[in-house]
Amino acid sequence: MKKLVLVGMTAVVLTGCSDQEDEQVLNLYNWSEYMPQEVLDRFEEETGIEVVYTTYDSNEAMYARLKLLDDSSQYDLAVPSTYYVNKMRKEDLLMEIDHSQIEGFDRLDPELVNQSFDENNAYSVPYLWGTTGLAIDTDTVDPSAVNGWADLWDEQYEGQVMLTNDMREVFHVGLSVLGYSGNTRDPQEIEEAYEKLSELMPSVRTFNSDAPRMPYLEGETDIGMIWNGEAVMGKEDMPSLEYIYPEEGVIVWLDSFVIPKNAANPEAAHQFISFVLQPEISALISENIGYATPNLAARDMLPEEVADNRASYPTSEDMENAEFQEDVGDEAMQVYNRYWEQLKTGR
Amino acid sequence: MMKHRRRMFRGLRQPFRTGVLVLVWGWLLALVLVPNLLVIAASFLTRDPGTFISLPVTLENYRSLMDPLYLEVFLHSLYMASVTTLVCLLIGYPFAWALSRVGKERQLLLIFLLIVPFWTNSLVRTYALKLLMATNGLINNGLMALGVIDEPMRMLYTEGAVIVGLVYLLLPFMILPLYSVFDDLRQELLLASHDLGAGRFSTFIHVVVPLTLPGILAGVMLVLLPAMGLFFVPDILGGSRNLLVGNVIKNQFLDARDWPFGAAAAILLTLAMALLLFTHRLSQRRLGEGGDL
Amino acid sequence: MTRWLPQAYLSLVYLALYIPIAVLVVFSFNDGRTGYRWGGFSLRWYEALFNNSAMMQALWNSLWLAVSAATLSTLIGSLTALALHRYRFRGKRALRGMLFVVMMSPEIVLAISLLALFLLVGIELGYVSLLLAHVTFCLPFVVITVMARLSGFDDRLPEAARDLGATDFIMTRTVLLPVIMPALLAGWLLGFTLSLDDVVVSTFVSGPGYEILPLRIYSMVRVGLKPEVNALGTLLLVFSLLMLLMSQWILARSKR
Repeated sequence: MKKLVLVGMTAVVLTGCSDQEDEQVLNLYNWSEYMPQEVLDRFEEETGIEVVYTTYDSNEAMYARLKLLDDSSQYDLAVPSTYYVNKMRKEDLLMEIDHSQIEGFDRLDPELVNQSFDENNAYSVPYLWGTTGLAIDTDTVDPSAVNGWADLWDEQYEGQVMLTNDMREVFHVGLSVLGYSGNTRDPQEIEEAYEKLSELMPSVRTFNSDAPRMPYLEGETDIGMIWNGEAVMGKEDMPSLEYIYPEEGVIVWLDSFVIPKNAANPEAAHQFISFVLQPEISALISENIGYATPNLAARDMLPEEVADNRASYPTSEDMENAEFQEDVGDEAMQVYNRYWEQLKTGR
Repeated sequence: MMKHRRRMFRGLRQPFRTGVLVLVWGWLLALVLVPNLLVIAASFLTRDPGTFISLPVTLENYRSLMDPLYLEVFLHSLYMASVTTLVCLLIGYPFAWALSRVGKERQLLLIFLLIVPFWTNSLVRTYALKLLMATNGLINNGLMALGVIDEPMRMLYTEGAVIVGLVYLLLPFMILPLYSVFDDLRQELLLASHDLGAGRFSTFIHVVVPLTLPGILAGVMLVLLPAMGLFFVPDILGGSRNLLVGNVIKNQFLDARDWPFGAAAAILLTLAMALLLFTHRLSQRRLGEGGDL
Repeated sequence: MTRWLPQAYLSLVYLALYIPIAVLVVFSFNDGRTGYRWGGFSLRWYEALFNNSAMMQALWNSLWLAVSAATLSTLIGSLTALALHRYRFRGKRALRGMLFVVMMSPEIVLAISLLALFLLVGIELGYVSLLLAHVTFCLPFVVITVMARLSGFDDRLPEAARDLGATDFIMTRTVLLPVIMPALLAGWLLGFTLSLDDVVVSTFVSGPGYEILPLRIYSMVRVGLKPEVNALGTLLLVFSLLMLLMSQWILARSKR
């Protein structure tokens, strides 16, 4: 037995240290279900770099984890929304993108690059953009009765509403119903939005940001928030799932690749960004997961039914009143955080 | 000669003893005491967006804990955990008694069967409950096929679902300490009580309950406190609401990055534990036993 | 009546405990995506699982962590139990008390306190941090298991062995080990079980460099229908049962 224990102990110590160091690895930290497996496989095949794919379900969780592991260089690439790019850039959490290593940046929509949150895209490269709108199950909910966020408050939907598990988005909804900006920093307005949202809480059945389409598919909820890509994916399995642009204005966001400051393998990260910027790959991603690609060359390659899908690629009419998510600063975030915690306690 | 030799071994044993004690004390000090002191210290510091915590020293975190809304979270969590504990006790008490009455060989097998489900990981087991309780899940499908109900019941994402999940995960922790006290409970005592003219009920209240009290308290501790911390159960079965203190603590550490506040909430849990430990000690002293550890 | 009622009650509770497990196992062989309806026998989810290299890696990592944490905690725990049983020393009560407190502490408190420690000391979140954390929460359970066995052990036996001229080494091998062997195995098994089951502590102290199952499947499980998770649970169960058989075999051999 003693020998056995010794053998065991030695093995413990040995395997603790050796973790296939010879193989190149890219640690990609991304939203759940935000990249088709095929893309990862093809990247591995082409470059021999293994992609370790880990996921998060909110910008806050991603940011907290990167901050926590700041020094240990465990992630090579992450995909925050714009307002977090700004925050992380200011806090010196990001590495500058070496544009000489990036191929195909010029294919990106000029309207989505060189924005105020990151001038000259020194720290970020756009990946996908999308909208957060309303979803309904047309089998149980009358589509003509649902036009805007305010309709969620209708009592007939009690116990059927789904919200994303995303603080900023949920408050955005509350704020727009009240006629305020979704990017407000005014504590008074945030509190009012909280009051408004807490009236909605008895109707809310679940929060989900891992895969917001699933509660609809599983018959748990019939109406609520959804990301457009999720609506597109969900419609394949459930034709009665409809995406609606709320009249108060849809929430718009852009997610970008960033490289954490202490990334262990920045070359592989750059390589991966270039890989995704290939029109063929970008088109594949947009087609597969239903979000809009900022890659204009890729848009030309999309099959008609994808390019014309209003859920993925909104018309200018759909984008009326649309509001882009922006950084609100740490102080306002604290106010949001506090009310968010309280909101999720409500029944 | 013989005596001399024994002394020699005693000499050899000294370093062994010292070694073991240094090892275990070192482990406990480094990985239990120091970390807990860190949490206590953090709970008196200020949140810092950059470095998580910073000076100055403040009582602010405890003050915000006493904010009616957070207090409500704590009380609600306590309520959820208490219901869980009560259900576990009601199921577990007769269970442990029945278990202690079967033959020795079978007892071992049955206890072993209590442990087997743990090997699937509690997250996977919670997921299995979700399969059962979903709107088009197995329970609803089954009952509808049998014609018991016409419309599926909405069980998932309710507080009831969370309590079912907590009970399912924690029941063995109630049963095991109860079983060990029932196992020690001597039949003669019950017979004696009978002989002295006590009825079944009276025997139960005056003899069985006091004698099994340490087991009840140990079980309560092993269920009540963890129940407040199992954040993943409300995440999966409760629609990601903050139903437990564990959710708030987790959010503060892994989302909102307010470590001092999260630490203060954790201290509150620790205080609750201390209170229960104290009660446990008292009950043991009254019974004049040392307990297991 | 008093004969069958307790039996029926026991069976009922076991039934309730095992229905979810049975569902898990049965539906891991289900063909069809829905997961709620039986669509014929199939091994496709096992295939999907085996082809998912990240998931398989997490599975092995979890199992390996459980084995190593159980081994290390059994080693330290049984030595501690021996010391507590055999020797008088100052701080004995404090040591017992400390172990008791660890056992009763809510996992989440242990989790955040260890996270704070690892961050302060600069221990990278990964295998080492997980191992340290898991051993810590397994330790008291191992100690208690081994001590329970030792309390039934006749202290005169080792003395007798020595008087008969056995050295400490021989005494340990021929007298002590056979006696505490079942307790060691029980303690090991308990450590293995607790480590494999854990979610709370692992969520806090693991990093992307060493991913274990709870983290890998957390978002999958929250999403809903993922039949791979059924297959995974079944594999874990099978592997653990194999471990048990192996320990029984070791036990049978050591008895001979």
